[in-house]
Amino acid sequence: MRSTTESRPLKVLLLSLFHPELVRGGAQQVCYELFQGLKEIEGIEPTLLSAVDPSFKALYKAGARITGFDGRPGEFVFLGRDYDYWWHRSGSHLLVESYIEFLETLQPDVVHFHHFLLYGIDFVTLTRKTLPNARIVFTLHEFLTICAADGQMVRRSDKSLCSRPSSIRCHQCFPERGPEEFFTRELWMKRHLSEVDMFTTPTRFMLAHFEQWGLPPEKLVYVTNGQPDYSRGENHVKEREKRNRFGFFGQMVDNKGVWVILQAVALLRAEGFTDFVVELNGENLQYASPERRTEIEKFLEEEKELPSHERIVQLNGGYQVDQLAYRMARVDWCIVASVWWEAFALVISEAWMFKRPVICSNIGAMAERVVHEQNGLNFAVADPRSLADTIKRACTEEGLWDKIVAQITPPPPREDMVNGFLELYRGAAKSAETKEVPAHAH
Amino acid sequence: MKQEKAASATATSSPLSPGFNERAYLHAHPDVAAAIVRGDVESGKDHFLKYGSQEGRDSLNPALDPLDQLVIASTARELNSRPSLAHFLETIIVSRSGGVFVVGWVDDSESPLERIRLTAADWRLSMDGRSLARVRRADVEDALGKPISHSFGYFGFLFADRSLQRVGEVKAEIITKSGETAECQCQVRMVEDLELRDIALQYLAEAHHFGNQQIKGIACIDRAIGQQLINLNTHITANITATPYVEWFGTDIKKPKGSIIVCLYGKAEYLFLQNALHSQAKGIEDYEFIYVSNSPELAERLLNDARASSLLYGINQAVVVLPGNAGFGAANNAAARASRSGRVIIMNPDVFPRERDWAAKHSALLASQPAVQTKLFGIPLYYDDGSLMHGGMYFELDKGLSIEGFTMHQSHLVRVEHYGKGAPGKGSEFARPRAVPAVTGAFISAERDWYEELGGFTEDYIFGHYEDGDLCLKSMERGVAPWLQDLHLWHLEGKGSTRRPVHEGGSLVNRWMFSTRWGATVMDGLLGPNPTHKLLKAG
Repeated sequence: MRSTTESRPLKVLLLSLFHPELVRGGAQQVCYELFQGLKEIEGIEPTLLSAVDPSFKALYKAGARITGFDGRPGEFVFLGRDYDYWWHRSGSHLLVESYIEFLETLQPDVVHFHHFLLYGIDFVTLTRKTLPNARIVFTLHEFLTICAADGQMVRRSDKSLCSRPSSIRCHQCFPERGPEEFFTRELWMKRHLSEVDMFTTPTRFMLAHFEQWGLPPEKLVYVTNGQPDYSRGENHVKEREKRNRFGFFGQMVDNKGVWVILQAVALLRAEGFTDFVVELNGENLQYASPERRTEIEKFLEEEKELPSHERIVQLNGGYQVDQLAYRMARVDWCIVASVWWEAFALVISEAWMFKRPVICSNIGAMAERVVHEQNGLNFAVADPRSLADTIKRACTEEGLWDKIVAQITPPPPREDMVNGFLELYRGAAKSAETKEVPAHAH
Repeated sequence: MKQEKAASATATSSPLSPGFNERAYLHAHPDVAAAIVRGDVESGKDHFLKYGSQEGRDSLNPALDPLDQLVIASTARELNSRPSLAHFLETIIVSRSGGVFVVGWVDDSESPLERIRLTAADWRLSMDGRSLARVRRADVEDALGKPISHSFGYFGFLFADRSLQRVGEVKAEIITKSGETAECQCQVRMVEDLELRDIALQYLAEAHHFGNQQIKGIACIDRAIGQQLINLNTHITANITATPYVEWFGTDIKKPKGSIIVCLYGKAEYLFLQNALHSQAKGIEDYEFIYVSNSPELAERLLNDARASSLLYGINQAVVVLPGNAGFGAANNAAARASRSGRVIIMNPDVFPRERDWAAKHSALLASQPAVQTKLFGIPLYYDDGSLMHGGMYFELDKGLSIEGFTMHQSHLVRVEHYGKGAPGKGSEFARPRAVPAVTGAFISAERDWYEELGGFTEDYIFGHYEDGDLCLKSMERGVAPWLQDLHLWHLEGKGSTRRPVHEGGSLVNRWMFSTRWGATVMDGLLGPNPTHKLLKAG
């Protein structure tokens, strides 16, 4: 690999699942932030390749498999097709040939997989075969390599959290597939991951999961996600007598736990505690399971029927980053009620940008970032009773909000992330055990 | 049907009026057919007019359906026009190359069926009643009101290896030993050879018997049907493997050390999975893969995947596409003919490396071990849970006794067993290198010349099963015992292909054939886990 001290710049190819301007999502947002950040570094020449699926048919030019994107320098689109969502591989040898040609043309020094979905996990091996000397960095945004259940490590049978995959346990999630298939799936995934030079995760608990699964610990490195400060220093915090306004920000799919919030509200209302409001800022309810979707829609319908002064929950719909300030100004606390582990939970960073304390589930990335009674409050995951008690306490305990807000530190800025990855690109990363976590990570 | 006896006195036999199909009606309602035999009613039409229409029976002519009344459709049955001998010849199917399959039932409980004579416009066939497979037909027992342990059902199969072009009606005569004869006209269905084979095998697999199902299932094909099915299958196989499509991918190896032959059926993914997982094996660059497909519908996908996989993994490989399912033995032989090395390695699609250097070790083993120990050998294979799946094979004999009525049928069937199946994997005694009676076809490494001298896999076996034991016994017969060598691979046994009832039918035929061919050899020093055969003493 070349160093940036040579005359030729260090070429970094970032592979992203979707482009954040086509499909919103944490992984692609972080990848795009990294791309923007790298562009500002002298001696680095980043290229972004964003995969799309055939639902974006307007982007599919006849006979093309990789094209530019919107006339932007350094940005390309990978026109995925025939993707095998079980084995995670591209079904077309033409895509393989086009990707080889793209690599040979670009000659990147570093290929950074910010995701493999829509390319195929075998593209890691293809990259290694095409560019034997390139450094391959692989960011793990969820557990898709370990877990066939959308990488969430939530058991499909009873929705409980899974921390220990095995052939038999995975078969129990997919009874139609034999245990051997999961054994083979693991061999398949690990075969391709063996070509990776360094893995990164944005939280420490993920390191443990992947190390336990068998990835070499010396290749596992923590690199935080980072974003620009969308608040621009304006946190819109005003003096108020009560701190009884709560906000949810995110997708309204099952694993984000909107249903936990609504059930907590119902419990408190039944007890006669109604002096609080919950604002839901989110969309994509259509991707929730039919049962949860019906539950949420029914709750919101009934809420609408109530006189305005009795309403507690309000649905504000989806939002863009530039609307965050306005939406955050309307709440005192942010609730992150996810019932899966979360890899990083960008929404926590967004809350902290505006000095909003977070109430979150006591697992995974959420518990790692939000320390109970210090910079936020935890409640028992998937437990509406526990959340109801926490909401009530947040509304009524004098001085609690101020005490917690005082301990909120700014979320990791984009520079931390860019520097973390640059270190890896330059091949100077230390192992996960010795590497210092950026101070802003917690 | 309770009123039929009384009603029959007033029923009059009348010519079939337009719109009523006597034959089809009796075909659909065997209890009516039985009632005619008993003399309860005169004819199917008589029954339909007096009772059937009120009972909601299907006349099989929509124009005669009663209005505003549910008509219960029945499965097809039929009775001959002469009610003296209760029977029904349900199906006659012929194939283009002269396969003839008949299914029916006959009440020959008092005088056994002697023959069935079929007379077509341009051919005749007399099927020996003793060669027919007899099966239990509970529906006929009910219809005849004869709850006795008698196999009323029958099926017969014969492969004439003569081109049959014309189809239409044939005259069928059912003749018992006592001379009772029934005649009927039957419509013949013409199908392709392959379809007829599958129909017959499926029927065999799903047939019911009094007594032990497998023993009786095998016994019923012993006289003739087993060999006839094999003859048809051999004919099919020869056609399928005559002109394979072969395409090579990757860069040529000058002299491969071995050709790894993988037979695919029903599942395409094993090509790219094996490519991915074996491509990391040290020394694999000295080997070529040959994927032979028994599933023509997978051809396009396999060729696409092979093209992509060669780019991804650099594996040198060929895809051999067959236009049908030639079975395990014939497909492997076809692939072996396409191979370019002096060694064939038969490998199941769900065999993956347990040792990263297995290919290099395989090459080293060929160079270091005595030739007699590497002429034909297998290796220990392991389940995904780490336990031993295979440490060589040995033979057992099942002495089966099946009792039907007062008749007892005894048979001897050879069974193949794996040493150490399920034993803890590490350091198992069963995995020790040694001479063994046989090794599994999931992995066989054989000197190509020796493989060819043995005639490769015997192609008579239908679909798959027993070819491996057969190959090993052929080797033993010629003085070379199979060996188990010190290499270790995973094998997700039975997960590399999809099994259907027709395969179970094939397995019955194969077990019958294997037992017939090798029973005596096995009993001569090769029986049990500790055989005394002289060639095995070296191990």
